[in-house]
Amino acid sequence: MILSLQERERAFGLILIIPTFLFVVIFSLYPIIYSFYLSFHRIILGLPGLGQKFVGFQNYIDLFHDRIALHSMFNTLAFVFVSTLCEIILGLIIALVIHQQFKGRGAVRAAVLVPWAIPTVVASQMWRFLFNDKYGLINFAFFGSDITAYRAWLADPFFAFCAIIFADVWKTSSFAALLILAGLQTIPDELYKAAKIDGASGWQRFTHITLPLIKPALLIALLFRTMDALRIFDLVFVMTQGGPADSTNVLQFYGYKKIFAEGLMGYGSTISVFVFLITLIISIFYIKAIGSRLIEEKT
Amino acid sequence: MGGAGCTQKEPADSVQIRFVAWRPNQPEVWKEIIFHDLLTQKLKNKSKDVDVFFMDVIWPPEFAAAGWAMELDDIFDSMERDAFLPRTILANTYQGRIYGVPLFIDAGLLYYRKDLLEKYGFQPPQTWDELILQAQKIVSGERKAGYDIVGYTAQFKQYEGLVCDMMEFILSNKGEIVDANGKSLIADSKAIEAVRFVRDEIIGKIASQGVLSYQEPESLDLFMQGHAVFMRNWPYAWSHANDLEKSRVAGKVGIAKLPHFKGGESYSTLGGWQLGISKYSENKNEAWKFIKFLTSARIQKLYAIKAGKAPTRKALYADRDVIKYNPHFKDMKDVFLTAYPRPRSPLYPSISNVLQRYFSRVISDPESDIESEAVQASIEIEKVISLVQ
Repeated sequence: MILSLQERERAFGLILIIPTFLFVVIFSLYPIIYSFYLSFHRIILGLPGLGQKFVGFQNYIDLFHDRIALHSMFNTLAFVFVSTLCEIILGLIIALVIHQQFKGRGAVRAAVLVPWAIPTVVASQMWRFLFNDKYGLINFAFFGSDITAYRAWLADPFFAFCAIIFADVWKTSSFAALLILAGLQTIPDELYKAAKIDGASGWQRFTHITLPLIKPALLIALLFRTMDALRIFDLVFVMTQGGPADSTNVLQFYGYKKIFAEGLMGYGSTISVFVFLITLIISIFYIKAIGSRLIEEKT
Repeated sequence: MGGAGCTQKEPADSVQIRFVAWRPNQPEVWKEIIFHDLLTQKLKNKSKDVDVFFMDVIWPPEFAAAGWAMELDDIFDSMERDAFLPRTILANTYQGRIYGVPLFIDAGLLYYRKDLLEKYGFQPPQTWDELILQAQKIVSGERKAGYDIVGYTAQFKQYEGLVCDMMEFILSNKGEIVDANGKSLIADSKAIEAVRFVRDEIIGKIASQGVLSYQEPESLDLFMQGHAVFMRNWPYAWSHANDLEKSRVAGKVGIAKLPHFKGGESYSTLGGWQLGISKYSENKNEAWKFIKFLTSARIQKLYAIKAGKAPTRKALYADRDVIKYNPHFKDMKDVFLTAYPRPRSPLYPSISNVLQRYFSRVISDPESDIESEAVQASIEIEKVISLVQ
């Protein structure tokens, strides 16, 4: 069979993609499908004698009647909303600052990335110590040497939740800043110069030039942060273990406890699948929004 | 070695050295398995790199039912078992067969500042009300003199330790968690009374609000720094609190049975660690020899003297050296003999999670509706128990 040049190039391209494709199938597709499979069965590790009964959608029905799961979904969505909002705003501010020319800008840019570079588990331990009620630096910053005024941040349901958000915003705002900075750098300088000549104020330049032109970058940052925030686990596991009183119990952590601590692999997988589906739906929604915008910009 | 915050660096290292010296040609069977979730995954996958593992006192039913722990009836005969404290042997038994060898026993104890109680003319409190009064008096007196101190410190974070601490309150009020038939009793008035007491009189009152985030290390730290009058902790805290280099209260520590409510009796939650052999191990003989070595009288004595770990061999409680370093073992032997086990079930982790959730919700919110939370938790516990039947 004689292939044309185009067909040969296409075939070669397909062959080059196979390694990556296999990688994605083995490490992404297979676990997802297996989780789906598990979620349709009842599996209790501590009682292997009961076998792996196929129960159809029973696990999902149980999930919607599980008040702990519903509460953890509420916690997760609240966390996603607040943390993503803070991260985008803070990321935007940081990006605007490091986009300016000033002495030592390179060092500042590197420093901004340090929180992002620290492994989340390590950062979580650090924050756990910082929020400690007896020797934490946060208490020291607020109250100095007046030890009796120190608050137990991680022991209060509301403040524990805030602490998790705080730690997450600290860690990932720089990531959002990087994405937004990339967007800022594509804005041609001439636009600002022209606007200045026309007498536009700084605020007007920001709202009429900067914001519209970085919308794609903002949306991409939003997409990444939302996807990550929906799956938050490390911070909760290290800092609060879901407590106190389940106030920081998020879906992913609840699923972990069900699968690994209680050995209920079927039900726990249902929670994982649920997180996956929510993330997938929101991501598709964002991508459609970004996609249409990018096409708009190009025409 | 894992567990609720105990550090065993020194004895563990010296134990390892002795084993190597005794049998230098033995293949390496020493492996550190840190915690439950990791261990169960390895065993579920029939991993060959686990031979011997530690089990917390609540794991044998789970590990036995799941087929992970090897039955030890043939090699751990009844004469051998008689040498151990009966409750620890019971903890390792499931459906009539034995699955582990007990190494340490733990029971909740009340630690107190001997010097402060003497200064204010108090004897160790018998009832919780007495403890509250004593704590209030001592704390106000010491604060006037400029010392920063709280009355009570214990473990109230949402984890397994919370169940241990709360169970002691409930039992000492003549309440129960689950009865012999699998019916949940935490919605009974006695249990609710005890929980209400913790919420209203302890958290944020004689104990700081922060105890809601404390496990064993945090509560022990506070006591060792001299910032608490009373502490509830396990036996290992004795050697830490009296460590001249690390503790500010070395030599000023007293130990007593936990208080009870009026009309009730003092109860301690049974804790402790046992050794089991993996059914999938390829070195079962060596594993058993290692377990025999680790649980031998000589090694248990070493642990008792160097780390304050309470031994499971009855004879060691009459050993002069052990008593010399742990004088409270003589008085507390009663507590160890009568320590109360948590519900024994292959699905205990699920039951425990329900209890942890219930206790944490109720004690961290002064406005909580204890009765309805208790009823809800009871329903969930009985649902889990029914799965086993």
